[in-house]
Amino acid sequence: MPAAVLQFVGSLAAVVAIVTVAWLLGSRKSANLSDEEEARELFRLAPGGFEPVEIALDTEGAAAIARDADGRLAMLVPHGNQFVFRLVPPDTPIRVEGDSVTPGNRPFLRITIGESARDWANTDSGDNNG
Amino acid sequence: MPFDPVAYAIPVFVALILGELLWTRFAGDAHAYEWRDTGTSLAIGLGSTVAGAITGGLTAALLVWVHGFAPLSIGWAWWAWPLCFVLDDLAYYVFHRSAHRVRWFWASHVNHHSSQHYNLSTALRQSWTGFVALSFIFRLPLALIGFEPGMILACAGLNLVYQFWIHTETVKRLPRWFEAVMNTPSHHRVHHAVNARYLDRNYAGTFIVWDRLFGTFAPEDGEDRIRYGIVSQLGTFNLFYAVFHEWIGIARDVWKAPWRHKLSYLWREPGWSHDGSRETSDMIRRRWLESRGEQ
Repeated sequence: MPAAVLQFVGSLAAVVAIVTVAWLLGSRKSANLSDEEEARELFRLAPGGFEPVEIALDTEGAAAIARDADGRLAMLVPHGNQFVFRLVPPDTPIRVEGDSVTPGNRPFLRITIGESARDWANTDSGDNNG
Repeated sequence: MPFDPVAYAIPVFVALILGELLWTRFAGDAHAYEWRDTGTSLAIGLGSTVAGAITGGLTAALLVWVHGFAPLSIGWAWWAWPLCFVLDDLAYYVFHRSAHRVRWFWASHVNHHSSQHYNLSTALRQSWTGFVALSFIFRLPLALIGFEPGMILACAGLNLVYQFWIHTETVKRLPRWFEAVMNTPSHHRVHHAVNARYLDRNYAGTFIVWDRLFGTFAPEDGEDRIRYGIVSQLGTFNLFYAVFHEWIGIARDVWKAPWRHKLSYLWREPGWSHDGSRETSDMIRRRWLESRGEQ
């Protein structure tokens, strides 16, 4: 077997071994927000900053939605054990179903926030142009 | 075939990643690793060795060709090795700075930054498309000066091996003299950060002195929690999207842009747009400074 192929196969085996060890050691937990303060800190860490004036947490802590003083909407979306900051594009309609809200036609961004869902439905996402 | 230090270092990389995994686990840091992120990082690293095997010969051939035009041949003298290493590190600084300031080069380099984690596995997120992006041009001047192509490639490999261990949060700060001269985990954490104050800072490979010299150095502020990744986080572990997403973005932008702006989407800085609808690193930093009343 040529040395290059042997090196590739060996490296592939090492990749599988490391990923397996990572999984076995518990590096597979989903991201979770413990409270609004933690969500606020993560919103603030967005590049250039995002200062929330209103935050709603997913009831399971799996996501968050926030509005800043300029009326911009942003979300924290789980990605592995981290969160991804996403600014909701201007003029995105916010759909409400029960105690959940969904920005635009993006079911994967659906967030269950409880009774306050109706308040976010009243958000004029047309303001989200900051 | 030139000596390739990276191939010999792979078993050490594997051992150190396993060591860091265990260390962080038993230190109670549940967020240091994420198994899918680690898988993506390592798969990108594995793919980059394949890409390197395919294009490495072409790079070597180009270095040999350019070396033929050198006015003098330095040869394999012992003193040429440290000199070549230092000059290669300067070439790396210029390449790396360009890789963050020119979108064409960024498209190839971005996958090194797209993990939201900062651990030893992140170090192995190396480019698949470096040759296509013409990254090799930054090392051609060394061959033109007269350094042996084999020596240049060996120094480049040693530089890459050095940069492996600085991708960790486990090592905090090192002795002051070391932090002053060498690139360290602290300096490189700043480089991988997307906090506004840290964007486009600390481009060094081995010696941090280049950043200090050319005004791109930023020290790590222990009070400012670092957020890693890229300005617009990928949000996916898809291997091929992670590798090619910026090339796809360039193609889309060039296709949609008015004719007079098409080329700008190749050579302007990442985040530039002809209609001002996006933000570059400089714009993000300016907005952040304004929010703090500093500008």
